[in-house]
Amino acid sequence: MKAKRHYIITWSLLLLVCLTSLLFGAGTLEIKQAFAVLTGQGSAEARFVVMELRLPRLAIGTITGLALGVAGALLQTLTRNPLAEPGLLGVSAGSAFAVSLAILFGASTATLTTLVSQAGALAGCALVIAATRIQGVGQDPVRLVLAGATLTALLLSLTSLLMLIDQRAADEIRFWITGSIAGKSWDQLTATLPTMLLAGAIVIGAVKPLASLALGERVAIGLGHRPGLIRLMVIIAVALLVGGATALAGPLVFVGLVVPFVARALGGADIRKTLWLCLPIGPAIIIAADTLSRLLVVPSEMPLGVITALIGAPVLMLIIRARRIPTL
Amino acid sequence: MPNPLTTFLLKQTLGSLVLMAAITGVAHADTREVETAYGSVSIDGTPERVVTLYEGALDAAIATGIDPVGAVITRGGNDVAEYIQPKAKGIGIVGAPGETNIESVIALNPDLILASAQLSKEQYNLLSKIAPTIVPDFTAFTPRTWKQETRLFAQALGRADAGEEAVTRVEDKAAEVAKLVESTLDADQRETGLIRWMPQGPLVMSEGLFSASLLQAAGFNVNSANIVKDGRPHSHPLSQENLGLIDHPWIFLATLNEDGDEALKAARKSPAFQRLKANKEGQIIIVNGQLWTSASGPLAALKILDDIANAVNNFATTH
Repeated sequence: MKAKRHYIITWSLLLLVCLTSLLFGAGTLEIKQAFAVLTGQGSAEARFVVMELRLPRLAIGTITGLALGVAGALLQTLTRNPLAEPGLLGVSAGSAFAVSLAILFGASTATLTTLVSQAGALAGCALVIAATRIQGVGQDPVRLVLAGATLTALLLSLTSLLMLIDQRAADEIRFWITGSIAGKSWDQLTATLPTMLLAGAIVIGAVKPLASLALGERVAIGLGHRPGLIRLMVIIAVALLVGGATALAGPLVFVGLVVPFVARALGGADIRKTLWLCLPIGPAIIIAADTLSRLLVVPSEMPLGVITALIGAPVLMLIIRARRIPTL
Repeated sequence: MPNPLTTFLLKQTLGSLVLMAAITGVAHADTREVETAYGSVSIDGTPERVVTLYEGALDAAIATGIDPVGAVITRGGNDVAEYIQPKAKGIGIVGAPGETNIESVIALNPDLILASAQLSKEQYNLLSKIAPTIVPDFTAFTPRTWKQETRLFAQALGRADAGEEAVTRVEDKAAEVAKLVESTLDADQRETGLIRWMPQGPLVMSEGLFSASLLQAAGFNVNSANIVKDGRPHSHPLSQENLGLIDHPWIFLATLNEDGDEALKAARKSPAFQRLKANKEGQIIIVNGQLWTSASGPLAALKILDDIANAVNNFATTH
């Protein structure tokens, strides 16, 4: 009964946030006119703003939020660490570095290759998993985050190095790396869709074995699962999701932390329940942050990455400040 | 009661001092005092090893017939701006705008350093130990700024007349282009904006920017929609919902891409850009960002005025 109530609340919240994002923007369009578009009327100008500018952002925000929320939940269960977040652990930074490299070699952000981003995320994931194998780091949630921060710092300094090589690329990288879903088109969304769907299929296949792996390796083996294979599948899914999201919106830190945190607070530690709750919460947070980004510095817009960091940093402190960090 | 001997010696000394001063004055007939942001700087003779730490200074020096030995790269490039490269062959690079490599400056052994108005006191203290350093002290982003700077640099170089000539040449050319604009475009067709396109939206350039002031001098009406903060060269990326603010009959689109069409293609991916009047009418003029948004000085001005005249002539032949 209680679980059902959570679903109703989170999904209606998402619906509300989506509606707001279509009604509010940095432009001069009145809310009344934007609402008219939703009821099938409205001027050509209003229809353009709502359907061609705000709707693609809504769609991209939805996919990005889904991907980052789910990836965070998976990574946290896999590493048994509530702080394991793609942004904090260097997965996003790996992806950002790969994309910056691609920009330097001539791929403009518009024609950005999702695959490059995902390959970078996969390399980042591999390094994270390697770090968890180091004695002491894997057991201590905060130390893993420190290892991730080190990796992120290294990759960011390499990215800065790329920006020094070519000023022209630097401009493009700088605007992309703060994170934004403004001015993105449907093409970019459809470019990431196949790999996102693939990741979704992997998650559906891996979630049950992963839940048993969370009970211990022996339990998983006893139930007929192969822990090595499960880990590999989850890592690939995380890389596809984070890489795809980063290709769309730039590296967004903290989203993968906040979304599963809220989901667990509502539904408990079971990964299956967490994932179901991440579905509405992830998009809701990104879309709300994006809507806020349009309203703060009219007639310009704030980068989305700034808003998500402002929301996420306090949550990280909250989790660390809690007397005992639960290991998952 | 003064001792007669002392008085005598004093008179002699004073006399020779006066004489010495007179002789020195003759020997350094072209000693000049230049008023800079950090006080009056005295320069004598014709400087032979000039280092310019500012694109406007490099341009002014070459325009007045001096070939500097060192310069900084253009914003967004790896060398001095393309437009001036043929005239600055083999020039030493001593850093980027605002990031001077002091050691490379010393290595060039300059006898005069021309810097930008933004040079900090700390940097000035270092540089002025190497050679007399000229830092302009004029209000930034006014139509007069580049002229004042050109005259100042020319004076420091001992080429005040050549500097004045260079400024006049630009003024004459601007008047010429303005005549062309007036005879070709109706009064309500002269509204324009200067922008750079980012994936998020356009950066709108300040009306006081060097190239924007030349557009104005050439008879265009530059409108930055009041969204550029005072003292800033451009706005933050404008939200695509607000492109109505730059929906003028003409848009000059500056790009740092080598391939200008590439920049236009990227901008046209945005449905909001496609709706702009200037895009539908084919009056988006792609211009070189190094020249239009980074450079300054009389030579750059002539090139920019050429670009403007070409755009208007193209319009005249297609309409």
